[in-house]
Amino acid sequence: MAWEGAALTSGSLLLPTVEATAWRLIELAGTGELWHALWVSNHAALLGFALAGAIGVPLGLAMGRWPSADWFFDPYLNVMLATPMPAAIPVVIMVAGLGLPARVLVVVLFALATIVFHARAGFRLVGWELLEMSSAFGASEWQLWRKVVLRGAAPGIWLGVRLGAIRAVSAMVTIELLLVAVGMGRLILDAQGSLDAAGLFASVMVIVAESVLLAHLFQRFEQDASQAAMGMAAE
Amino acid sequence: MITIESARVRFASTEGGAPMVALADVSLTIARGEFLCILGPSGCGKTTLLKAMMGLVPLDSGQIRIGSHAVTGPGADRAMVFQNYALLPWADVTANIAFGLELRGASREECARQAAHWIKAVGLGGFEHHLPRQLSGGMQQRVGLARALAVEPEILLMDEPFGAVDAQTRRLLQEDLLDLMQRSGKTVVFVTHSMEEAVLLGDRVALMSPRPGRVREVIEVGLTRPRTASVEREPRFTELKEYLWERLRAMRDEAADA
Ligand SMILES: Nc1ncnc2c1ncn2[C@@H]1O[C@H](COP(=O)(O)OP(=O)(O)O)[C@@H](O)[C@H]1O
Ligand SMILES: [Mg+2]
Repeated sequence: MAWEGAALTSGSLLLPTVEATAWRLIELAGTGELWHALWVSNHAALLGFALAGAIGVPLGLAMGRWPSADWFFDPYLNVMLATPMPAAIPVVIMVAGLGLPARVLVVVLFALATIVFHARAGFRLVGWELLEMSSAFGASEWQLWRKVVLRGAAPGIWLGVRLGAIRAVSAMVTIELLLVAVGMGRLILDAQGSLDAAGLFASVMVIVAESVLLAHLFQRFEQDASQAAMGMAAE
Repeated sequence: MITIESARVRFASTEGGAPMVALADVSLTIARGEFLCILGPSGCGKTTLLKAMMGLVPLDSGQIRIGSHAVTGPGADRAMVFQNYALLPWADVTANIAFGLELRGASREECARQAAHWIKAVGLGGFEHHLPRQLSGGMQQRVGLARALAVEPEILLMDEPFGAVDAQTRRLLQEDLLDLMQRSGKTVVFVTHSMEEAVLLGDRVALMSPRPGRVREVIEVGLTRPRTASVEREPRFTELKEYLWERLRAMRDEAADA
C-alpha cells in the first residue's frame, strides 16, 4: 500500500506501480522467460543445497559426538561461515570456471557451515545424560544414533536446513548478479539495463517469494521436530 | 556378589593441572540380595563409584567383579536409576519404561506387556501415554525405576534417585521402594546424601569422604525386615542417625583442618 502510494505520488520512472509490476510478472511468466530463469538458477541452488545437507548434517552430528572430529573441522567451517560471499566468488570461479559446477560449489560453500553448526548444536541439545543412560541400558552405537540422537537432534538439524536453504538461494542470486549472468540474476540485470523497473521488481519479488516459501516450509518441519523432541506433542 | 578391589578413578582436570582423584583405593564387598546405601557429602565420588559398577566409568586400577566376572562395560545383569531421571522427553511413559527392553530386541508386544506390568507396579496407572514433561519429579522417577526394573536386573544401582523431589513425595517413594525391593531379592546399591534415607533403606551403610574419595567405614544397620517407615520410631534408628551425623561432621572438621 505504501509502495503504491509512493509510486503514484512521485510519478517516478524507477518506482513502478503495483499494477505494472503484476502485469510484467504475468508477461514474464507467459513467455516462459521466468520459468526458464527459475529453472537455471534453482538447478544450481538445489544441487548445492542437497549436497550441503548431505554432507552437513552427518558432519555436524559427528562433530557433536566426537571431539576429535570437532577439533579438526571446526576451524575450516568457521572460516567458511565468516567469509563474505561476494569476496569468495571470484576465487571459486578462478578455480572451478563459470559453469554449473562453479555455481553449485558457491552454494555449497555458503550453506554448508550453517547446516553443520546447527546439526552440532542439535546433537548437544540431546545431552550427555541421555547418551549415558542409553549406554547403561546396553545401546549399541547404531541404536544410540537411531533411537536417541536423530530424535533429539532433529530441531537443530531442521533449523540448520532452513537457514541453509535461505543461504543457498542468496548464494545462487549473488553469483548470478556478480559474475555469471544466468537465471534469475540475468533477468534482474537485463531489467536493470533496460530500465525496466517493473521487470526488475517482478524478478526480485519472485526470488523473495521463493526464499520465504522455502524458509516457511522448513520452519514447519523444525517446529514439529522441536515440539516432538521436547515432549510437547499436541494432546 | 559384587566385589570392589582397590578401585581407583582419576579425571583429567580441566585446567591441565594434576588429575583429580575421584576414587582412591575403594574396596567393598556387597552380598547378593543386600541393600547397601552409600552415604557421603557432595563430591566424594558416590556417582563415580556407582558408574564404575555400571561399567560407564573405567577404573585406572583395581577391579570390580560381579560374581567371578570382571566389569568391563554395561551388562544385562545391572540397571541404573539416574539422579536426574534421564527420560527420553519425546517418548511417553510406556515407551520410556520399555526403552531398555526395546534396546535388547524385545518384540513390540513384549515391550507393551512388560511396560503395562511395571506401570502398575510403580503406581503410574492412568499415565501410560503421558510425556515426561507432563509428570511431576516424583512420577518421573517412578518411570526411571520402572525402566530399570523392566529389564529384570540382578543388581539395581540407584544414584540419589529421590534427591530432587519434595519431602512428602520422597517419603512415599521410599516406602514404595522398600515394598518393591524387600520381596524381590535383588541386590541394590543406593546412593544418598540423606542419613535418614540411608538408615531407613539399607542393610548396611558405606560412609564415604571426599578429596580423595574413599570409603571410610561400613555400618550394619541391623533393623529388622520387612521394614516400614515406622522403624523411624525405634531407638536404633535414632542412634544410627546420630552416629552417622557425628561421623560426617568429624569428616568435615578434618577437611577444614587440612
Ligand atoms: N566426568 C568427569 N570429569 C571430571 N571430573 C569429574 C567427572 N565426574 C566427576 N568428577 C569429579 O569427581 C568428583 C566426584 O564426583 P561424583 O562422583 O559426582 O561425586 P558425588 O556423586 O559424591 O557428588 C567431583 O569432584 C567431581 O567434580
Ligand atoms: Mg552424585
